Amino acid sequence: MTRLNGKTAVITGGATGIGLASAKRFIAEGAFVFIYGRRQAALDAAVAELGPNARAVKGSVSNEVDLDRLYAAVKAERGSLDIVFANAGAGSPLPLGQITAEHIDEAFDTNVKGTIFTVQKALPLMGPGGSIILTGSSAGTTGAPGFTAYSASKAAVRNLARSWAEDLKGTGIRVNVLSPGATATELAKQALGEAGQKAYGAMTPLQRMADPAEIAAVAAFLASPDSSFMTASEVAVDGGLAQL
Amino acid sequence: MKKLAGKIAVITGGSSGIGLATAKRFVAEGAHVVMTGRREKELNEAAALIRDNVTTVVGDVARLDDLDRLYTVVKEKHGHIDILFANAGAGTIAPLAAATEAHFDQTFDVNVKGLFFTVQKALPLFRDGGSIILTSSVSNVMGLPGFSAYAASKAAVRNFARAWTLELKDRKIRVNSMSPRTDRDPRFGDDDGPHS
Repeated sequence: MTRLNGKTAVITGGATGIGLASAKRFIAEGAFVFIYGRRQAALDAAVAELGPNARAVKGSVSNEVDLDRLYAAVKAERGSLDIVFANAGAGSPLPLGQITAEHIDEAFDTNVKGTIFTVQKALPLMGPGGSIILTGSSAGTTGAPGFTAYSASKAAVRNLARSWAEDLKGTGIRVNVLSPGATATELAKQALGEAGQKAYGAMTPLQRMADPAEIAAVAAFLASPDSSFMTASEVAVDGGLAQL
Repeated sequence: MKKLAGKIAVITGGSSGIGLATAKRFVAEGAHVVMTGRREKELNEAAALIRDNVTTVVGDVARLDDLDRLYTVVKEKHGHIDILFANAGAGTIAPLAAATEAHFDQTFDVNVKGLFFTVQKALPLFRDGGSIILTSSVSNVMGLPGFSAYAASKAAVRNFARAWTLELKDRKIRVNSMSPRTDRDPRFGDDDGPHS
């Protein structure tokens, strides 16, 4: 499949999990991919796995100087940018009653402010046919114990796409939200353990967690012209978890 | 791309619009398509455009006898179904104050009852692990003057996907609803395709 032939993509949170699976898929479909993440060792391992059509830039989405370096690297090597997958996310559970300002900032700095500047700073390199994909979450439309900050931040991400579809009118750039449910990334498997993975699987109509490659397949669809009439949409890839 | 190589797909409302475009794409991706529509001439013309790997059965999804005939053909020719695109839809514009019983019945007979039995009658032929796609509409969550029956029928379709997801999960049959905005369809208000 060569739906992304000649395209240049940036994937934040690209060294592991859904980001890495998407980098693999985008490259398999013909793209050149810049992955962006905070941990050098993880980036190095990812690039070694991804091969010659991948580059890594180390940085945080909540640091504007880092983001400027990312896009300078894209501009220097490729000149322009077709696809932004704003996928970096953060958050930890904390019940109402124990929430601190730091806890709120952890989720909102990365998920909301980080997403905004990841996209804003990419725009000068983008043009007609461009596709922006934001990682939402099934948590953006559901409640769960301790999920105050994370859920609210993902609801905000979903709504960014609505305003941006208006702001981007006439540019030929589309923006959509991809909302995964429980996904069996290495990080999630470690955090949840066997029992936690079973519990999430049991809550999901498809009776299991997602393989990151299943999220990546939909990211590739949203990145490609196959989704050319979609903008401001949310696509749930959650095994039905938040859809019933 | 041959993502659908060897798959047997049934498409209702296949004569024109989204149904026809989807039939073309499914065949291009390797599927064999059985499509149905009410108008024989249009259905045959549509099949002629696709040429290979397409079978037509004339029929109306609002008539249960027609659905039985459709699935009899599918069973005899292929023995099973992997993909069902329940896409046939109808709707005319009528403000609440002026709408007739016929307007209401036509909309719900095709979009709700017809789709319900399109899926129910497919189940005995469905392979476990298959995919069912329902055509809803963006109007399933929107209010539009003159569209109350149509929009309500499409909200019903969207909600079928919720219950059926749970009812069919043990067979690993996935159910999703797709909500197009089809204002590029020139035949607005006619039948055999979704309109919003």
